[in-house]
Amino acid sequence: MADACNVVDPFAGMENKLMSFTKAVTTKIKIDQTPRQLIWALNKTKLYRYCPVLPEEKRHRTPLMLVFALMSRPSILDLRPGHSYAEWMLNHGYDLYLLDWGIPGPEDKNLKFDDYVLEYLTRAIRKLKAFTGVEEFSMLGWCIGAILATAYAALRPDDGLRNLILLTAPLDFSHKETTFAKWTDEKNFNVDKVLEAFGNMPGGMMDAGARMLKPVDNYLLNYMRLWDMLDNPEAVQSWQAMNTWVTDTIPLAGGAFRQLVVDLFRNDLLLKGEWFLRGERVDVSRIKANLLTIIAESDHITPPCMSKAIMDHVSSKDKELFLIRSGHIGLMAGSSGPKVTWPHMDHWLGPRSKANGSTT
Amino acid sequence: MADKQAANGKPFDSMDPLRQMRDTYLETWAKAMIDAVNTDAYAKATGTILDTYLSVSSPFRETVEKAMLQALQQLSMPSRADVLSLAERFTNVEMRLDDMDAKLDRIERAFTKAPIARPARKPARKGAE
Repeated sequence: MADACNVVDPFAGMENKLMSFTKAVTTKIKIDQTPRQLIWALNKTKLYRYCPVLPEEKRHRTPLMLVFALMSRPSILDLRPGHSYAEWMLNHGYDLYLLDWGIPGPEDKNLKFDDYVLEYLTRAIRKLKAFTGVEEFSMLGWCIGAILATAYAALRPDDGLRNLILLTAPLDFSHKETTFAKWTDEKNFNVDKVLEAFGNMPGGMMDAGARMLKPVDNYLLNYMRLWDMLDNPEAVQSWQAMNTWVTDTIPLAGGAFRQLVVDLFRNDLLLKGEWFLRGERVDVSRIKANLLTIIAESDHITPPCMSKAIMDHVSSKDKELFLIRSGHIGLMAGSSGPKVTWPHMDHWLGPRSKANGSTT
Repeated sequence: MADKQAANGKPFDSMDPLRQMRDTYLETWAKAMIDAVNTDAYAKATGTILDTYLSVSSPFRETVEKAMLQALQQLSMPSRADVLSLAERFTNVEMRLDDMDAKLDRIERAFTKAPIARPARKPARKGAE
């Protein structure tokens, strides 16, 4: 009888593990928690200032504006306390602003890059300058946000942009062997038919597309990794934070999606110097801001070949290309963020954010 | 064997070899799938599936939209297009307000005679005071 009591029920253990797994997968945890203040809004776009944690005399003089992609939430920049880029930068004395594009509604289906760059971004920068009282600022663009930041830097080179940081920037679309280039080729993809049906490009479709670049990793290994680390609460919380962000998809305005496919992926107009926004040519050779381009070597969404060429086109005298062994999201939100990417960014941006001229 | 495991600090887990086999297999599969989705054939197949779905669903979508429009008209309620056009007009009004806000900022600065840019802080010199 006593022996029978000591027998461990393998099914009970499995049942507990399965319950923990289901809970971890289905529970969304709180992300985006660093305190911030809304300073400007237009349509769905909002400009936030993260509340500084250091006294003014210890902060960098030049404000930094974060411009994230149009089709994902910017909360990846502030994932969870203790592992948040925004929190880290505040602790290192940056006056940090976030441009959140919001969720486009059906009424925004005609919004194009022209509007995002020359209406929303330009106005947000005008407000940033009025709010801070300084004329010079830094801008960080990530993924599609890097296209927007690059276009702005090229169209308004004398508008006070001092430092430009491009993270995994898809700018060179001449590489037709990339997966996205094949998928969006006009032989395979009828962009007008999709937009006629949906208006905006649905977030779920874009998310599925991004996941299908690495189908086994995203649909299977991701969950197996969670299964293997269920007894590590810290790792589970980290997985949940990332899962919360990944599953929170948002649509991309139809006009902007069409430009992304037709003007950029198919015709590579940007680096050819043939891309026009509201009649103005986006000439990247006019970019003169200090430039740091950060590339993730294992990036499957923006392969490194798409980000490197910009270095040869800009007029910036102070420019640096920095490669990191990481992926598209991992370089900021993974373990390489606080270990490599963030410190390097601080090392580069800090001296260039002082009041008196460039340090170069 | 037991000594070796004790030295590694990890107790023997009979599932480890199976787990390694599983990981090796999945890694190979993952690489094969990455190559598979990067082919023209895959791009063409997904394009065809999407195109077919849109073609098939289009008549249903149009029928539902027409029925909804008629129902809203019967109820004297604004249609989707009416609401969207109103939202666009709100955005235009917001833009005008934003321009006025910016002008007020400039006027305020001019009145208070504050410089456009704050003067650069001089670095504090040791023993200056």
